[in-house]
Amino acid sequence: MKAKMNTTKRETGNLRNAGMVENPSLIERIVHAIIIAVLLLIAFCSFIPLWHVLMASFSDGKVLLAHEGLLWSPVGKASLAGYRNVFKDASILSGYANTLIYVVGATSIGMVVNITGGYVLSRESKLRIPLTLMIMLTVLFGGGLIPTYMVIRKLGMTGTRLSLLIPGCTNGMFVIMMMYAFRGVPESTVESARIDGAGHLRTLFHIMLPQAMSLGTVIILNTVIMQWNSWFNASIYVTNNKNLWPLQLWIKQILAENESFLINANPDYSRYLVQYALIIVATLPILIALPFFQEKLEKGIIGGAVKE
Amino acid sequence: MKAKTGKGTSAEKVKPYIHKVTWRQDFTRNKALYFVMLPCLIYFIIFNYIPMFGILMAFEDFSVTKGFFGSKWVGFDNFRTLFTGEAFLTALRNTVCMALLNLTIGFVMPIVFAFLISEIRTKKFKRSLQTVSYMPYFIAAVVVVQLVKEFIGTDGAITAVLTLFGLPKQNWLANPNIPVFWLINCLTDVWQGMGYGSIMYVAAMSQVSGDYHEAAVLDGANRWQRVTKITLPCIMPTIIMLFTLRIGLVFVTGFDKVLLMYMPTTYVTSDVLSTYTYRMAFGVGTPNYGLSAASGLFQSVVGMALLLISNKLSKKVTDKTVF
Repeated sequence: MKAKMNTTKRETGNLRNAGMVENPSLIERIVHAIIIAVLLLIAFCSFIPLWHVLMASFSDGKVLLAHEGLLWSPVGKASLAGYRNVFKDASILSGYANTLIYVVGATSIGMVVNITGGYVLSRESKLRIPLTLMIMLTVLFGGGLIPTYMVIRKLGMTGTRLSLLIPGCTNGMFVIMMMYAFRGVPESTVESARIDGAGHLRTLFHIMLPQAMSLGTVIILNTVIMQWNSWFNASIYVTNNKNLWPLQLWIKQILAENESFLINANPDYSRYLVQYALIIVATLPILIALPFFQEKLEKGIIGGAVKE
Repeated sequence: MKAKTGKGTSAEKVKPYIHKVTWRQDFTRNKALYFVMLPCLIYFIIFNYIPMFGILMAFEDFSVTKGFFGSKWVGFDNFRTLFTGEAFLTALRNTVCMALLNLTIGFVMPIVFAFLISEIRTKKFKRSLQTVSYMPYFIAAVVVVQLVKEFIGTDGAITAVLTLFGLPKQNWLANPNIPVFWLINCLTDVWQGMGYGSIMYVAAMSQVSGDYHEAAVLDGANRWQRVTKITLPCIMPTIIMLFTLRIGLVFVTGFDKVLLMYMPTTYVTSDVLSTYTYRMAFGVGTPNYGLSAASGLFQSVVGMALLLISNKLSKKVTDKTVF
């Protein structure tokens, strides 16, 4: 079925639309409608679990327990009891504080390693190739869980904040990515800076860094997310130091405790509510920030790939 | 001034710099550079290279008190126990099956989503759809698993829908039958990764020249034909590159969620190599570090082999490689 073509002035502005169908046939319209419906369904599925939890967090604990299925609005008497308990609980607050420490700390330390490593690997030197291979090898191969644990224990880091700040702060991939980013800075800019008398450090901060930061931003965002969501490392390195636990580990603990609370003869329903409020409190900051760094994130991911 | 020859045989790739400069010259010129490299170098040596010696544990009957050099050397015994043990073989089978699901459904869904999204012209609508689709990616594993438990538990919303279709009402996460857990894991990954994973593909698709589409419409091609004959071939390099990366990583990732979702009653379908390795060292009962290290080593070796093989394959198919 030949499509009718009718390019108007309005259409030709958008390259994708140029030559596109102005008066689509019925089948085209139906297909387009189906596509939109499917996309809306996907968006719905992405969003609804969070909505469900949000509604649950405002509900009445006892009614919630008995409820089956999806929540569209809070059940029972809407209450803030869940949230009140969350903020009263010292362990949750300490978890939040710890997570912030780990996020900021690990990302900063990680970026120092990434930037220094990536920069050096991007400059010409006799050791460049061996060093690059050394870093690349760590991406392919590693000692594994237990040997790493033993090294960290030998260093005396287990049971301290350091075990969560330093060991996992970065990996070979990120250093290599920064190397690519620095390599992408045009040589001429660097040369002209050198001619103007800038030393290594000056060049690094004022010339190279700004131009390499699109990939750098992706790395930072990824590290932040990783650290915010991490729980496993804490569970093996600071198992018994509850004052050092990050938020996610507390969530895991509270959720596990709640599973068995139902057996208890006199269950505290607001405790049940806490788990929902907790999820919201732990997840909302990132979700709200999402639209703001979404552009940067996309540009960085795309830019990094195109550079190759 | 003597000129030293550079390392390696790939003379064409190595810039003339290495041939022209001696070690001493290089050091005087670049000592600031090497100094700057120290933090990075120290980090990787301590946390990546030194643990590699731990591989020795895989060949020993390791006991914590005796340490690396005091424990009895048993050669490949640990591996023999590993490959004849039922738990390991089950874990291996599960890992392979989940990996296959990951490489098929898990890989294709973001691409399908990218195709759908690319058909939307209205910028605002497209933007908001993308933002919503990215959200699940940023939710912590602990929370995601809790959501899964909430929705497919006995009282869950998804369970209710499945019951409507005639399936028995139950806590699906506790179901040890094939392929329940595998599907749960795969679909959870899809839920989380579909939006974020589509970014690359959407970008690649937007780079396909509008001229091709214009010409196609002129020749009477419908939407499906345009997708399969124009867009798809154009983004093939991107697809291959990402598929290559995924194959290499599929054996070693996906640990978090499985660890949180599995339970002893479902080990027969839910235990994977990573969780097996973990359990041998950190689980209940006496830890068997030698077995755990052997399992971990096996994973690393297979993962590396897969990465190198898929790298070679990708070179054959598209001339592009990741490494």
